[in-house]
Amino acid sequence: MKGFIFALLFAALILALCGVNQQPAGFAEGQFLANGPLPPIPVPPDNPMTGAKIRLGQALYFDKRLSSDNTVSCATCHRPDAGWADVTPVSEGVAHQKGTRNSPSVMNAGYSIPQFWDGRAVWLEKQAVGPVQNPIEMDLTMEELLSRLNSIPGYVKMFEEAFGTKPTEEGVARAIASFERTIVSGDSPFDRYMKGDKKAMSPAAIRGMMIFNGKGHCTPCHSGPAFSDYRFHNLGVGYKDGKFADVGRYAVTNDPKDMGAFRTPILRNVALTPPYLHDGSEPTLESVIELYNKGGIPNPNLDPAMMPLHLTKREKADLVEFLKALTGELPKVGPPEKLPE
Amino acid sequence: MVMAVLFGIAAPSAAVPVFARKYGYNCTMCHSNFPRLNDYGQRYRLNGYRLPGREDDDKTVLETPAPFAMRTSAGFNSDKFKNTVDSTDVDQFQLNGLDILSGGLIGRDVGYFMIYTPQINGSRGVVAQDGSLEMANVVFALPKRMFNTVRVGRFEPAYVAISAKRSLTFSPYEIYDVAYPAGLPFSDTQTGIEFAGAGRCGIRYAAGWVNGTSNNTDDDMPSDLYVRVAKVFGEGEGQTAGQRIGMVSYIGKARPESGVGSRRTVKRFGADGSFNWTGINLSCQYMRGRDAAGIWDTGLAYKFSGGFVEASWLPTHMAVGFARYDWVNRPTVDEGGDVRRWTVGGRYYFEDNLALHVEYSDRREDRLVGPAATERMFTVRLDFAF
Repeated sequence: MKGFIFALLFAALILALCGVNQQPAGFAEGQFLANGPLPPIPVPPDNPMTGAKIRLGQALYFDKRLSSDNTVSCATCHRPDAGWADVTPVSEGVAHQKGTRNSPSVMNAGYSIPQFWDGRAVWLEKQAVGPVQNPIEMDLTMEELLSRLNSIPGYVKMFEEAFGTKPTEEGVARAIASFERTIVSGDSPFDRYMKGDKKAMSPAAIRGMMIFNGKGHCTPCHSGPAFSDYRFHNLGVGYKDGKFADVGRYAVTNDPKDMGAFRTPILRNVALTPPYLHDGSEPTLESVIELYNKGGIPNPNLDPAMMPLHLTKREKADLVEFLKALTGELPKVGPPEKLPE
Repeated sequence: MVMAVLFGIAAPSAAVPVFARKYGYNCTMCHSNFPRLNDYGQRYRLNGYRLPGREDDDKTVLETPAPFAMRTSAGFNSDKFKNTVDSTDVDQFQLNGLDILSGGLIGRDVGYFMIYTPQINGSRGVVAQDGSLEMANVVFALPKRMFNTVRVGRFEPAYVAISAKRSLTFSPYEIYDVAYPAGLPFSDTQTGIEFAGAGRCGIRYAAGWVNGTSNNTDDDMPSDLYVRVAKVFGEGEGQTAGQRIGMVSYIGKARPESGVGSRRTVKRFGADGSFNWTGINLSCQYMRGRDAAGIWDTGLAYKFSGGFVEASWLPTHMAVGFARYDWVNRPTVDEGGDVRRWTVGGRYYFEDNLALHVEYSDRREDRLVGPAATERMFTVRLDFAF
């Protein structure tokens, strides 16, 4: 009996001592790139950033004349006031046609290699001209686009300054890509926390960070400074009656293991860009976490990292707080004062 | 008995900061609460120590930090015995054993795992420990084959359905301790080869060929074979998600207790389940066994049965409570009779790899002659791996 009482006192003492200061670790450098502050944005060697290119890209990005009916620009679906994404599950293109996938944010998109939900373009240069030629989105052929640009003296001059040529497909792609690489958002509470400011994140966000890199099983896919492995994973989203509404990466590779798989999205500034997932089917961060918590949607190709998590209500709330702590200083970039004429 | 109890308390188990360090993950990525694995950790283990779905990216031990880790526990142990012949009461602070662990990938599809327990002479509160290479195995991953992995060396065999190496409790699973001739726990590591795989519809299977019981001599041919089949319902591996039922059949050869004489047949059959509901897990194991006449000193066949039911509850990832009931029914030819044990306790995690462990266990073993032998064990200790 004496031993029992002594042992209980010992337990109480240990609890009291150890409960004083629990300082959770953050993300340790491991095999995969650790989640941490953003490095300089990668720039392909054949398209170095220049002021002339960026200004031209900015004009092209906000110019609705890049669509067949002059109603849609890049900024229509990747809105600066909506975290450089769109507020609807799928965006509207020309003639109010609806696409099938949610518009991903352009913020920090330069870190993503490859581009698009299915990764069909490697660099931004390839991505930038895709929507222009998509019949649902901007619906212009490249010939029509170049003809329009060549008929606008302001653009001819800007292309001359940027590339020393008349408007070309390659020039359009490189200019828009260069501009998009300036839309970078870092210096979030998470970044400041990782740099040593331990008060930058709330206690709930710190707890959420521990869940993110542990029980929540988020890090295996959302790794690296932009919180994405840029790989393709199947969460079962859109799987119903034995079929996927969208085959995802499979359309690019024809590999059955890619059926229903989509690229891991960047999580920086994710709180600014609802709705979520490739089809915009989840309206809030809470509902996305609920999807993960139940282990995704069972299907034959479900990613092996997907399984029920049994997160408690508080753990889910903490995760949301952590995701909000990834919201950085927004880039001070907007439309040009005047489009070329 | 004393040694069995002491080593029971200090039972080595495997929580491996090596892997957490390698990937930069918190321990709870793979452990619901260390040392118990969650479903992701179980898949990682079954996948030959490669991250599920990211096999192509994994790095070998030559490309990552030195793959070593340690685990020990220290605290207050109280262990009181009655009517036992050679047991000594314990009532003191103790340091309980030391495991040195290593694991990782040797090649792209070749993993390894090792636990070394150095010899420790017991003195002044340090619990004695035999030096042993507790585990050392190489795992070959064979994607898209019927058997996904082949494990060679000394390993925790698949027939141990509820891992004793990663148990939440320090008190042992009684059925595993009893269910082997010559005193070697059924849950102990085996040396040999094991093939394991995963089929459609949540079917998991494994088959192994191992040296077998400890009272076989060194030059005996490996004699023991086993097969395990399990079915998982829902997503997960039945650890903390999904529901799992399984069965195992084991047949082997063992020499008589004296070590002299020809080998005779030992048979085991077990059924198990692991059921999950939110943060609650219910694990159970039932096992029957029969050793041929002549293995035991009595000269008669030895039949026994038993099992355990264990419930654990994780209100958060920082705490777990557990309760277990063990029972073993032994034949009347054995001087030791039926065993009953119940255990309750909990763990609070200050960090993922540092837990305050509190456990109380009450064991009763009937005797053919005289009053039952009892043991009351209470421990409060810090259990940590680093």
